[in-house]
Amino acid sequence: MEAPPVTVMPVTVGTINMMEYLLQGSVLDQALDSLLHRLRGLCDNMEPEPFMDHELVYLLKGQQGNPFILRARRSLSHATAPWHLRYLGQPEVGDKSRHALVRNCVDVAASHSLPEFLNEMGFRMDHEFVANGHIFRKGAMKVVVSKLSRILVPGNTENTERLSLSYLVELSVLAPAGQDTVSEDMRSFAEQLKPLVHLEKIDPSKQRH
Amino acid sequence: MQQREEKQLEASVESLISRVAHVKNSLHSFIYKLENEYERLTWPSVLDNFALLSGQLNTINKLLRNEKTPSLRNQVIIPLLLSPDRDEDLAKLTEQRVPVFSHEIVPDHLRTKPDPEVEEQEKQLSTEAARIGPEVAQKQIQTLNKLCSNLLEKLNNPRDDRDAESAAIRQNKPSFNPADTNALVGAVAFGKGLSKCRPPGPVAPGHPGQGAMISGGPTLQQVTIGGGSGQQAGMGGPVAPQQQGQPGKMPSSIKTNIKSASGSMHPYNR
Repeated sequence: MEAPPVTVMPVTVGTINMMEYLLQGSVLDQALDSLLHRLRGLCDNMEPEPFMDHELVYLLKGQQGNPFILRARRSLSHATAPWHLRYLGQPEVGDKSRHALVRNCVDVAASHSLPEFLNEMGFRMDHEFVANGHIFRKGAMKVVVSKLSRILVPGNTENTERLSLSYLVELSVLAPAGQDTVSEDMRSFAEQLKPLVHLEKIDPSKQRH
Repeated sequence: MQQREEKQLEASVESLISRVAHVKNSLHSFIYKLENEYERLTWPSVLDNFALLSGQLNTINKLLRNEKTPSLRNQVIIPLLLSPDRDEDLAKLTEQRVPVFSHEIVPDHLRTKPDPEVEEQEKQLSTEAARIGPEVAQKQIQTLNKLCSNLLEKLNNPRDDRDAESAAIRQNKPSFNPADTNALVGAVAFGKGLSKCRPPGPVAPGHPGQGAMISGGPTLQQVTIGGGSGQQAGMGGPVAPQQQGQPGKMPSSIKTNIKSASGSMHPYNR
């Protein structure tokens, strides 16, 4: 008997059902040092990991309706590291009892031929950017403080221009669906960063215009 | 003469026992309070308990130093009989603490000197102390005092050191800008403010999908994402409405997506 095509294989891996809980905020460049200092104190005892990533966002347009989006990321500081492919679901922001934005999240490590593969599948790159900054951890919580830069010449990550005078601050936790208690922990952690940074549940659709 | 001494010894031991019993009782009640009433226990009452204990210990010390108390140091206790069997009388006498009078526990209970290791340590410490001359010791004491007072000063006046930082935060010098937050969130969510780049390079000419992409392909920024209205469009593409609380549905929609895409757009139609 022939194996079914990959596309109709049921997804059985446990990690597929993970949700990402997210709070976002920003900090001005001049207050960055204070924030890093505070995070160093609050987070697990480790030196913050610096990173520099190049993210490419790919669209796949169906016959009708809206395109399907995948995000491919590669490390610029570790050229040999695998690419990272990520699917993010529709964010759920409506539930007032939940303190964080929740969305479906699928993470996959990929080989370096990922862009060619996506192109062959019919995906097209919509936009790209470079993010560099620091990662902190506290238990399951991840804090990413990053500066976003736009790429002036497509594909050339050397030639960039920063997007704003602030760093993006994101507090996220990956948890199985339905574990809303993690949002409580996130909120209490976010409280400790005030008034330096206000981490909030931000509906991205409101930032569109 | 000997009888009188004996009587005296008996009397003093008896009073010692009763004093020790007092200490034991107050310790007992204090521990009980700590374990069972710690929620209601106030600091002054804890201090009262400590004061009581300290007073009782002082009384015992006074009693031992009293001239009428014969020197207990001169009394010798010899274990006459060791037995590995349980002794009910002994257990009752010691409130079940010492049920057996055996070779294992006797050395511990009748010990008059510290453990050999402790004795060794003590000896080391005293030789160490003797080695340092009084002048050096004095100097060390002064350095330590200075360090302590410096530390205390720092702890008592934290404002001086942190003034610069906290003032910057408090005095209307914001550390973040909500507009920047929105711009950055927009940028990571759908590339708002990022230049659209569609490198033609990797796309082979004559690719079936290419024409459609160039002519009608919506960019991410043009796509409408369902806001609070519960509209289910956007990021997920042509996705069946994702029901809240049923995130397990999501993977299946991905699956159908890719499938339909491969059917309609893949250059090598199966």
